[in-house]
Amino acid sequence: MALLQTNNVVKRFGGLTAVNKMTFSVEAGKIVSIIGPNGAGKTTFFNTLTGIYTPEEGQIQFKDKSLLGLRPDQVAATGIARTFQNIRLFGSMTVLENILVGMHIQLKQGAVDTIFRSKKFNEEEKDAENRAKDLMEYVGLKNVGNELARNLPYGGQRRIEIARALAASPTLLLLDEPTAGMNPNESEDAIKLFRRIRDEKGITILMIEHDMRVVMGISEYISVMDYGEKIAEGSPAEIRADQRVIEAYLGRGAAVAHEQKV
Amino acid sequence: MNTFFSDLYKKANTGFWPVVIAFAFLVVGTISVYLNPRSLFAFLTLLTTPVILYFMKIDTKVKVFIGLLLLIVILPVLGIRNIFYLEVIFQMAVFSALALGLNIVIGMAGLLDLGYVAFYAVGAYAWAIFGSKQMSLLHSIPGAAPANAEFFLDARWFWLFIFLGVGLAALMGILLGLPVLRVKGDYLAIVTLGFGEVIRVLALNLDKPLNLTNGPQGITPIQRPPLPGVVQALGNALTPLVGHVPTEAEIYNVFFYFLALIIIGIAIVVATRLEDSRIGRAWTAIREDETAAIAMGIPLVKMKLAAFAAGASFAGAMGAVYAANRTFVSPETFSFQVSIGVLTMVILGGLGSIPGVIFGASAVTLLNIQILQNFSLYLSDLRQSDAVIPIINFPWKNLSNQLDPAKYQKLVFGLILILMMIFRPSGLIPAARRQRELGDEKEAE
Amino acid sequence: MKQIAANPVYKFLLFPVGQIILFALGASVILSLVTVLLAYLFKSNFIDFDLVERIMLILPQVIINGLTIGFVYSTIALGYTMVYGVLEFINFSHSEIFMVGGIVGIQLMAYFEHTGALATMNEYLVIALAIVLALIVSGSLAVIVERTAYKPLRGAPKLVPLISAIGMSFFLQDLVRLILSLTTGEFNVILPKFGTYDEFWKLAVPGMEDPLRIQIKSALIVGIAILMLVILNFLVNGTKVGKAIRAVAQDRPSASLMGINVNQIISITFLIGGALGGAAGVLFALKATKLDPFSGFFPGLKAFTSAVLGGIGNLTGALLGGLVLGLLESFAASYLGIFTNGAFGAEYKDIFAFAILIVVLIFRPSGLLGQTVGQKA
Repeated sequence: MALLQTNNVVKRFGGLTAVNKMTFSVEAGKIVSIIGPNGAGKTTFFNTLTGIYTPEEGQIQFKDKSLLGLRPDQVAATGIARTFQNIRLFGSMTVLENILVGMHIQLKQGAVDTIFRSKKFNEEEKDAENRAKDLMEYVGLKNVGNELARNLPYGGQRRIEIARALAASPTLLLLDEPTAGMNPNESEDAIKLFRRIRDEKGITILMIEHDMRVVMGISEYISVMDYGEKIAEGSPAEIRADQRVIEAYLGRGAAVAHEQKV
Repeated sequence: MNTFFSDLYKKANTGFWPVVIAFAFLVVGTISVYLNPRSLFAFLTLLTTPVILYFMKIDTKVKVFIGLLLLIVILPVLGIRNIFYLEVIFQMAVFSALALGLNIVIGMAGLLDLGYVAFYAVGAYAWAIFGSKQMSLLHSIPGAAPANAEFFLDARWFWLFIFLGVGLAALMGILLGLPVLRVKGDYLAIVTLGFGEVIRVLALNLDKPLNLTNGPQGITPIQRPPLPGVVQALGNALTPLVGHVPTEAEIYNVFFYFLALIIIGIAIVVATRLEDSRIGRAWTAIREDETAAIAMGIPLVKMKLAAFAAGASFAGAMGAVYAANRTFVSPETFSFQVSIGVLTMVILGGLGSIPGVIFGASAVTLLNIQILQNFSLYLSDLRQSDAVIPIINFPWKNLSNQLDPAKYQKLVFGLILILMMIFRPSGLIPAARRQRELGDEKEAE
Repeated sequence: MKQIAANPVYKFLLFPVGQIILFALGASVILSLVTVLLAYLFKSNFIDFDLVERIMLILPQVIINGLTIGFVYSTIALGYTMVYGVLEFINFSHSEIFMVGGIVGIQLMAYFEHTGALATMNEYLVIALAIVLALIVSGSLAVIVERTAYKPLRGAPKLVPLISAIGMSFFLQDLVRLILSLTTGEFNVILPKFGTYDEFWKLAVPGMEDPLRIQIKSALIVGIAILMLVILNFLVNGTKVGKAIRAVAQDRPSASLMGINVNQIISITFLIGGALGGAAGVLFALKATKLDPFSGFFPGLKAFTSAVLGGIGNLTGALLGGLVLGLLESFAASYLGIFTNGAFGAEYKDIFAFAILIVVLIFRPSGLLGQTVGQKA
């Protein structure tokens, strides 16, 4: 059984069907990508998975449990963490605090512990702080824990967002265009980081990505969306050869030209 | 010019100079207030001491020593010599607690609550109704109290009502929050404003069918807690310092001053600890970006309710203390203007900044009940005199009696709010995130 | 059919007036029916008097009062809703813009009284002059407020301009008080007595003992308000500026790319909204006969509630919301006391609006007519 399984998920906005009958699955321990042209419904699909939108039809199963009707915070509690297309850090908090916010679900301190600074509270905070430091190091950030998140350069902010998502110790990590705006070197580093996350931490990764080098270099399985529907899926090699994918990306005429060239 | 002053400040802020300056303000302030109990300038000099303590580099132990000396010895003694100062400090403490509470709601969690005074009213009316004869007057018309009415509860119940005030206000916060926290941010402001007005109008009109609040006339007398002998003894001990045997009223004022001080102390500790914890971080996260916060597993409504309840509880406790201090409450005390006043304090000091809002509360309170008042007195003195305004040759005598700065609090609040938003939205003492000792030692390993 | 719809007389006069009359009649009839039905249901609880009869006796007057105040609310609410449509911002100080209009109008009449001209002038001319002055003063004030306190904050987090607007509201209240105090030594302003508009028309209604009494003033307020609404409808839907306002409301960046001067349009929106508020102030002053610098607060809040009730950003909604709220308030003020046997009465009418606001926001946050920005009035 797949870790994440969706069946015929439909999400409409008024007359517009943004996601249409998406049947899709992610096997545990894999790195899976969703690609597709702008406006294909990829981010909307992500938002449907994480409970920001409620689908009009279909099922979403995660670890054999339905996610339908759960609020985003409840979805997060089942072990799905995410990053955002346009980085959404808590700008006026420090880097360390951003990562601590990521641990919200795991921390058990209550109001009474907090106000009386109980032993449990102190130990938990110390422990959380240490874990946060480890995570910062893991994503390759040093000596920035006390910086305000908004003062970090772009690449650093992307890394913090990943560290913040990892702080929740998720089973499934959703990355929404994680290398957008990066130069080739940075993308290369990011790919290495994602591999390590999967190999060392055993976290399944589902990502939306535009950069074909990244997608083809890292994905073990790829789904292609266009106009809200899944038009193809398979291994990177299969996707590269798929006629419909080329059409979706380049338009029909270009696809024909492409074929002739090949 | 600018560098001259900043260089001067740097020089003054090194070595032993800060301690000398702090002590100088403390001693000069104390002596001048002692000798001239009516001088506003002397009082302001004394009140500069804590600001210096906060900003300058002084050893923490020395800071605590000077601070405690000021709060525990000097102010009570001076306060008995001029009871008005004790009143000023008491109000500063009351409003600091309110500002700290509102700061949790708006500064930390980013929810604009314009009806905050309602929670203050709940705490005050709780003790007012049960700590007075009101429960025996439920069936009589306001103003026509039978002479044989009895106090409903013993005055010692007051202590319980401080905690009840906390609980009731928190409960009201949750009851209000449950329906309204789902509405969009800027609507929340209007809805909470409405809630504040609802509570005031209820206080105004619940003299029928049952006379619960005694309507616009308000409830009086409200009991004060009996003071045990220790406090009397303390009063006697103060006699040589003050120069006369303190009256019961004066001792009560000192007592309420200390009570407010304790509550504000607890409020500071609670607010600081909440801020630096999972709960406080969740509030800040919600303020910064709700979508990201909820994706991190933070339940929005639950955490917002918690912010409402925590903020309200501070006001509830102070409400009960206020009712006992005044022995009188009326709906007028809980107007919309007070809510905006507390908002002004928070904005002036700095949203989310605990030292900031205490500074803001103190400054606005001082401005309200002392500086504007003194200005009014000064103007009325001028009106009595034959002086003229130079250049335009306008005799002060002809100045309208209506020009009474003490009555223009709204103008002051409004100006502060607008100017702060345009020029310094993060306040005079902006919030700073906690700096931690981090990984440097890790690298050394 | 299409030809009729395109006819300007129909589009800018008959249709909006018809719509207004429909809303007014519809809301009145529905509320009356509900009240009478309730009266029949609870009739048996009242033995001293006939509940239904007592309710019917004052019903016409209750409806007239409700419509009068309802039209005033509608006119103010349009200012809130226009600014919200364009900026997504609650202009908290609009209640003071409204109050200033009322006070300026009264001051003009007081000036005429002072010079002795009031006794000889045509009373309707006096009112018209007061309204024109209020339009100008309130409109300009709204633009000044926008330029000084809101424009520098555009792009800041949402709470920042809102807090500035709250500050402006307080500032204006006391500023007006200061100016009035320094110039007249008194900050209550009282409408001078003149003309005959305070008197009643008596209409004999078949089947009723007493004739129906309609105060000329009420008819005047309703009439002027309808005139304002029709003019606004023309401004928004029939002119180039109106088109630009609707464009900015729908999509500010695109409007800007199309060459529309967004800052100018925002100022014009404040100008129109403020002018309407000022006119409403004079109408309110005719009804209240006494104003002070703080009397904008409650009407302002109720007008805001009206805007939300109708669907904020929606001009037609503001009109409907104001009428419904005015009627509800009038019904509550008159009948709550009767139904509860005096336990709760008119003293709760000011908070009645808040209850409605909370209920609307919880159950139908998009309001009665939904959130269609930049629609016709």
